[in-house]
Amino acid sequence: MKISRLFLSGFGLLLAGICSAQNMFRGDMAHSGVYSGPAPRQFHRMKWKFATGDRVVSSPVIQGSTIYFGSDDGNVYAVDAGTGRQVWKRTTGGPVCATPAVAKETVYIGSYDGKFYALNAQTGAVKWKFATEGERRFEAKNLHGILPKNQTIADPYDIFLSSPVVVQDAVYFGSGDGNLYALDANSGDLKWKFKTNDVVHASPAFAGGVLFVGSWDSYFYAVDAKTGKEKWRFHGGEDPLIHNQVGFQSSPAVVNGVVYTGCRDSNVYAIDAANGKEKWHFPNELSWVITSPAVANSKIFFATSDSSLYHVVEASTGKSILKKQDKAYMFSSPAVVDDVVLIGVLNGTLEARDLNSGEVLWDFQTEASKQNKGWVLTADRKFNQQLLFYSGWREVPIVGSDKQLSVGSIFSSPLVSEGVVYFGSADGFVYAID
Amino acid sequence: MRFIFVLILAATSWCRGDETISGRWEGSIQIPDREQKVIVDLAEDGKGGWTGSVTMPGLSVKGATLTDITLKDSELTFGIKSALNVQRVGPINFKAHLASDDTLTGDFVEGGNTAPFTLKKTGAAQVDAPPRSTAVSKEIEGEWKGEYEMTGYPRHVTLKLLNHPDGASADFVIVGKKINNLPVDLVTQEGDLLTIDSHETGVSYEGRWHKQNAEIKGTLFQGAVETPLVLRLAK
Repeated sequence: MKISRLFLSGFGLLLAGICSAQNMFRGDMAHSGVYSGPAPRQFHRMKWKFATGDRVVSSPVIQGSTIYFGSDDGNVYAVDAGTGRQVWKRTTGGPVCATPAVAKETVYIGSYDGKFYALNAQTGAVKWKFATEGERRFEAKNLHGILPKNQTIADPYDIFLSSPVVVQDAVYFGSGDGNLYALDANSGDLKWKFKTNDVVHASPAFAGGVLFVGSWDSYFYAVDAKTGKEKWRFHGGEDPLIHNQVGFQSSPAVVNGVVYTGCRDSNVYAIDAANGKEKWHFPNELSWVITSPAVANSKIFFATSDSSLYHVVEASTGKSILKKQDKAYMFSSPAVVDDVVLIGVLNGTLEARDLNSGEVLWDFQTEASKQNKGWVLTADRKFNQQLLFYSGWREVPIVGSDKQLSVGSIFSSPLVSEGVVYFGSADGFVYAID
Repeated sequence: MRFIFVLILAATSWCRGDETISGRWEGSIQIPDREQKVIVDLAEDGKGGWTGSVTMPGLSVKGATLTDITLKDSELTFGIKSALNVQRVGPINFKAHLASDDTLTGDFVEGGNTAPFTLKKTGAAQVDAPPRSTAVSKEIEGEWKGEYEMTGYPRHVTLKLLNHPDGASADFVIVGKKINNLPVDLVTQEGDLLTIDSHETGVSYEGRWHKQNAEIKGTLFQGAVETPLVLRLAK
């Protein structure tokens, strides 16, 4: 009886830990994308908004009563969750497009300056910095068919930096230099690095002593967290012609021994975490899956870019349960809170959908999206492809993709804590909605 | 009697400006084909003057310190010196008029161009305090020397650190083909991490202090160029 009571209380603590853990990307080490309730089934008001100097594609995380996030203005922020007042900011040498992880009173995050930072969570003071071999975006000649063919183009849709996962005394993250890094969380000393053959901007998930992450080299890797040795690799699609249908930008979720990940080759894959064998794949007709799948109630929740579809599929088989047509690309990863799924859309809208029916319960549109300056959106909030991409030559597609973000696109994945939804927008603000 | 009335009226109007200018002001600058969002925070500095900061989403300006803040009757002016490459491009200034409906309207001057702006008061001020120099450890105070090579010839670096009641200061000199005396505006030490910033020249140094070796091992940043630089305590 004593043993079972102890066991029960321990199990309860473990569950509480899992349910309340919202201190890293996707809520927990396995990146389930599930957050604790209550679910925000109705929109009441914008509680506050916090201005930064540039786009916020980072996703807020929470520890205690403080939320933490990065901004493309180069700062890492700590903001009071209740009031929206700045607690501190720490300037790095480049845009901060990653999501921080908070553990042991320390905020861990990478910046486009190629450095990885450990900051005091109370003050923002630098505890240590680690220099990677340098950040860069995925690039290729004739990328997405942009002309001229021999011009190397940096991918304007390579938006995020890899977000760290902290496990005991180690912090793990990917880098544009192609490495997956393991650092001592206390000192910043390098434990090991694992080389892939291209940019790693997906965020590693951790389960059962193994790290799971994809690279833009078309492979998805399982790496022993202690030694940095490869356990297996899984080959996604390739696209030697225009490099459009290649690479893992989506970050994986690992639940019940199965890895779920989206891919630029337009598939969502379910892979056996033990051996790297494919269990099923869900094709999306040339439409990228950048969102990181959420896993709840034996279902997988994800969304697509060009086809702008919101999907729910069976976790065990990959069979479609429902799909809903949305209006614009989705890069934001869905957050599941009880019976509500929240997701950001690049047309500047945050949507709350019913978990079971997939119907939109409410949405929030940024001011920039409402104003729709330069007709970036059509009247029904789709991207105005005719005006944005009127030519495939030289800078036109790059400028067009940049203009797309002027409507306050929501790349950030929503954080939900005590019924309040927090997310960033490309309009430079972080919003709190209850 | 008339004189007293005029005095009271003048005092009231002065107080009114003072009371109402403090707060958060949000709105936009009407740059042709580009409406620029702007958030200005203004508060009394406790010394009879004003302190403030500005945020401009999309221009990577967050909490930049306002300079040369003046308020006369209902006319407010201030500038920006620590953002948007003002050292290279030239000063940025705001000239505003405070209206009775808690609106600030005026002109934004940048690069020789002028655009109108309108700001509305939205709440209490949230002034972003400018970063301040910290004190440095006693063992770090003094003269440090090092050298590095760039474009084929050596540069000699001297860094003199001195503590003051309000934080440390630094003399930062790089001697190559000529002598460069870099104006330092920020010296910070966090644990064993030392940072020296010369915003005006875009040069900074960041190094880790190794007490046992009496050296600071770090990197000199000159724009996009990063150069390793080890400084040793001068004898």
